[in-house]
Amino acid sequence: MDIQSPCRSTCVYNGAKGWCEGCFRTIEEITSWSQASDQEKHDILAAAEQRRVTAMTPLPPKAA
Amino acid sequence: MKSHPPPRLPPQIRVLERGWLSSNNILCIEGEGATLVDTGYAAHADLTLALVQQSLGQRPLTRLLNTHSHSDHIGGNARLQETYGCTIVIPAGIEEAVKHWDENALLLTPSGQWSERFRHDGVLSGGDRFEMGGLEWHALDAPGHDMNAQIFHCPQARLLISGDALWRDGFGIVFGEMFGNTGGLQATRNTLDLIADLGVETVIPGHGAPFADVGEALQRAYQRLAAFETHPERMARNALKGCFTFNLLELRRLPRSALPDYLRSIPFFKDVAVRMLGMDPEQAAQWLLADLLKAGAVVLEADFIVPRMAA
Repeated sequence: MDIQSPCRSTCVYNGAKGWCEGCFRTIEEITSWSQASDQEKHDILAAAEQRRVTAMTPLPPKAA
Repeated sequence: MKSHPPPRLPPQIRVLERGWLSSNNILCIEGEGATLVDTGYAAHADLTLALVQQSLGQRPLTRLLNTHSHSDHIGGNARLQETYGCTIVIPAGIEEAVKHWDENALLLTPSGQWSERFRHDGVLSGGDRFEMGGLEWHALDAPGHDMNAQIFHCPQARLLISGDALWRDGFGIVFGEMFGNTGGLQATRNTLDLIADLGVETVIPGHGAPFADVGEALQRAYQRLAAFETHPERMARNALKGCFTFNLLELRRLPRSALPDYLRSIPFFKDVAVRMLGMDPEQAAQWLLADLLKAGAVVLEADFIVPRMAA
């Protein structure tokens, strides 16, 4: 099967971060998706997942 | 369906592949400017604009075309027009509806969807030829999913922009056969025959990735159409499921207990459930939820219905 687009149809652009808060891909990654090779798509998915995990992880409490 | 490398497109054509609530946006670079075909759903206009700006850099967007007037294809028109001052060219059949912003004719009110209003500058009629991305294209009437829809054919590149008339796996809800209208199924068949006769190598659909296995896609579309012709009830059930899942993507979540009232409040759902399927909204809600859960299209999260795609 082809690698499916990770778009979840919850397309919210975060201008400060430069990515979509639905799929965590950058604008560049979304625009290049349809002509990307399988390897490039895997790389995009891995980078997006990394951003998602980072965004969901609360910052550690500041040392007293 | 097997895995395929992305089909090669002329380098001046770039497909911004979107999801379901927003259609694909197809960018064609030409001379000093660019044309965009279809603009996604209004709620996603910020992202659509960012994608276009990133792709174009300093180059202006000079023209917008729409394959048809549904909310997921025209939703970014207003924002792009406001930003770039581009001209907007629409299929001739929707001119009156756009001019007077008739939300019934545009299927916005009946389907519980919305769009920002825009003004158009010109129309394309079936058979018209026009230039886009330095190539010659033919606008062809493609009724069925929408009775005023068009597809754009480039014979030189053996390429078709199909809107929702043909996807890799099926086609859009046959609205031409809804609300008591007839002729939508026959129109869908004629449109598939028209596409088959074009002999294109590549299709850029309104949703999903561009594809080159056009013959197989047509075969699947004909099979789906034959099933609808034989079992109108199946077409009605598919329409209800498809449109509800679409709307749920914008709602994000809906309390399970609110589903019957929601179906009752949207003319399209009420018409399909009551008139076409003979169910009252409670029965329709029960069937719809069970079926979508079984298909894995939605999940329940603490008694809220959530599209699985967004869960």
